[in-house]
Amino acid sequence: MVSIKLENVSKSFRNFNALDNINLEIKDKEYFIILGPTGAGKTTLLKVIAGLIKPDSGNIYFDGKNATKLSQEERNLGFMFENYALFPHMNIYDNISYSSRVNARDIDQTKMIVDQVLMMTLLTGRNTAFPEEMSGGMKQRVALCRALMNLEQSKLLILDEPLKALDAGLRMNLRRELLLMAKSEQLGLTVIHVTNEEEEAMMVADRIAIINNGQIVQVGTPDEIYYRPKNLFVANFMSEINYFESKCLKNKELPWDIYRKSKKGDKFFQKIQEDSVPKLLDIGLKNKFAAYENKSLCEETDEENVLLVVRANHMKIRLGNRLNQKNNALFGKIIRRKFMGVFYRFEVLVKFNTFEKIIIVTIPASSEIHETFKEDLDVTVYFPKELGIIVKNPGEEEIANILKLE
Amino acid sequence: MTFDEGKVLAVDNISFTIENGDYVFLLGPSGCGKTTTLRMIAGLEKPVKGKILIDDKNVDGIPPEDRDMGFIFQHFEIFHHLTVWENVTFGLEMRGYEQSYIIKKAQEALEIVGLLSNADEFPSIFGNPGLQKLGIARAIATGAKILIMDEPLGSLDPKVSKVFRHELRNLIKDLGLTAIHVTHNQEEAMAIADKIIVMRAGKILQMGSPYELYEAPNSIFVANFLGETNFLQGFVLKLLEENYMQVWIRLGGPKMICENKQNKFNLDDNILVAFRYEDVYLFPKNYDFEGSNYDWSKMQFFKASLDSSRFVGATKRFYLSLDNRDQFISIKPGNYEENYQKGDELIIGVHQSDIHVFKAPENLFNELSLS
Repeated sequence: MVSIKLENVSKSFRNFNALDNINLEIKDKEYFIILGPTGAGKTTLLKVIAGLIKPDSGNIYFDGKNATKLSQEERNLGFMFENYALFPHMNIYDNISYSSRVNARDIDQTKMIVDQVLMMTLLTGRNTAFPEEMSGGMKQRVALCRALMNLEQSKLLILDEPLKALDAGLRMNLRRELLLMAKSEQLGLTVIHVTNEEEEAMMVADRIAIINNGQIVQVGTPDEIYYRPKNLFVANFMSEINYFESKCLKNKELPWDIYRKSKKGDKFFQKIQEDSVPKLLDIGLKNKFAAYENKSLCEETDEENVLLVVRANHMKIRLGNRLNQKNNALFGKIIRRKFMGVFYRFEVLVKFNTFEKIIIVTIPASSEIHETFKEDLDVTVYFPKELGIIVKNPGEEEIANILKLE
Repeated sequence: MTFDEGKVLAVDNISFTIENGDYVFLLGPSGCGKTTTLRMIAGLEKPVKGKILIDDKNVDGIPPEDRDMGFIFQHFEIFHHLTVWENVTFGLEMRGYEQSYIIKKAQEALEIVGLLSNADEFPSIFGNPGLQKLGIARAIATGAKILIMDEPLGSLDPKVSKVFRHELRNLIKDLGLTAIHVTHNQEEAMAIADKIIVMRAGKILQMGSPYELYEAPNSIFVANFLGETNFLQGFVLKLLEENYMQVWIRLGGPKMICENKQNKFNLDDNILVAFRYEDVYLFPKNYDFEGSNYDWSKMQFFKASLDSSRFVGATKRFYLSLDNRDQFISIKPGNYEENYQKGDELIIGVHQSDIHVFKAPENLFNELSLS
């Protein structure tokens, strides 16, 4: 069993606060992702958990026991850090099986496990190659294999961007392999995996911790983080978004029934309706908008000044002006469209009096979309009220910083 | 053109045309010859055979600086000890223009890329997107009509790159520049390109718009490299009329009817059936096909069981297996409504026109590995 708890952990390097009062609980057998931009403190956090860096203050518990002072060896874990640190004088097999030899494990059993991990990482047959003969992607896979060797004993796997330099196809496969392995009945691992790719996080995580500037911004399941982000930073990190500076309208008669329950069977929308409050919004257009605000998850908002956030892939698109048929709708012109494979991406320019904004819409590609929605056409874009997200407005300058990730 | 790098043919007899104003990608795995091709166009390498024409003029012997090109590389030559303004004016001064002309051109160029307000600052204040814009400003100030870019987004944080690539495309399209951009990242190419040239081992495998390559890949490699594709092994069971055939997936897998374009395949040929993840439709076992108006006649149906599913934000992935234990994947929009459980038997539909058939390669593994 491996559960981990961090209590008020801080770490600074000279004057730089790498970790700022981190509190985190990772459950036994959980696949836990630490997600954030470059320089957020992800690797430092991982090293503190692994025992490679001592925190300045705070405590770390392994299975309820204080492990703050334990060395990396005493914490008994498998890990892979970004610099692969392969032994240059050893071939792949020897590199991978090094820990087994040190621990005097049975030779046949070792060979069997090595064969398994080599197959999983598509390195079968390459076990006599030396690191200098390998590409970056191969070295990375060898390092991953090595981290996977000791898991029957340690049950805790720590991975720092394990799939970073790999080809897209291989990366996709390995994500799934890692998850299946972690969840397999024989192993049942606790995994802590650092990445800066939101797609990778959502593909494997039971829960995700979003970290920025050394602080934990939000912890939740992929679903929660995606549909109920706590603030603009989290919303923007998980996908391309549209945002509207708005204010909540109070004591106004609702122009359309935002309390209407979603149709039967639509469990997802029902759940959002159950745990959030509907709000009517003025975004500066004639028609009013509605969305759900989740008070328990979001940062405290000022009702006079909020942001309405809508993910590009939650926008829908129809030809012509449908403002009197659709709620939460904007009317504009397609100024750009781009085929991207699975999706089409549209930029729709909406102009009304002083309101001017480019709305990003991504739609699953189909021949119908290809034939119908072309540049220069007038369209209506709209979104279901359950997919509108209301967050705090952090101010113009901060919005620009968040969107640029600087 | 051909380029001979020691004993290895880095680029082997390739020909292509780039139209004025097109944003073109040279795409392929490392070592495919894409960078060598770019360097020959730029004049940094000389082809051993063949010629390069710019506006119908043979540019053999013309040095890079006289080819009306701007260069943007991953580790580009921005002068970090000069201000943003000096970085732009440097090239103009080297060419000996008058001061008033230099000021006008530098102002225009910085205005266009949105860096005029940073003119007196040093490039170190920028992240990579800012540096790329400065590179573009430098190129357009000197009147470059062609941008040569080698992995310009390579060192970016993935999230920043996903945002900036749209901005980069819009800027270059609005300026009407012709751009040639080298990358190994297929997603980046699909998101930006007007035209993609897919290269492998010094040769061009296929070229066309992202839509053309995606909808009609001419090889297993291109089908696998651009987008996500399921591959199932099988053989031709029956030849049918009007260029159709029936194929049988190996080890007692499903039978499917698909197109046999130009009667390429014969009876008993070993083949590989390919279809995109997003082209796989899922139906519950008791789905009422007759109650719907949709024309199902071109849809191929078979059974599969659901191993697991995964929410990935914009999409949801369904991992499925056939009776013969072959596995495949379906992707749906992220908020796709379903009540499927692990182990459920589902009816799978794939439209005939979405099924691509290839001759089975001798070594499928080699064909699918991206090198």
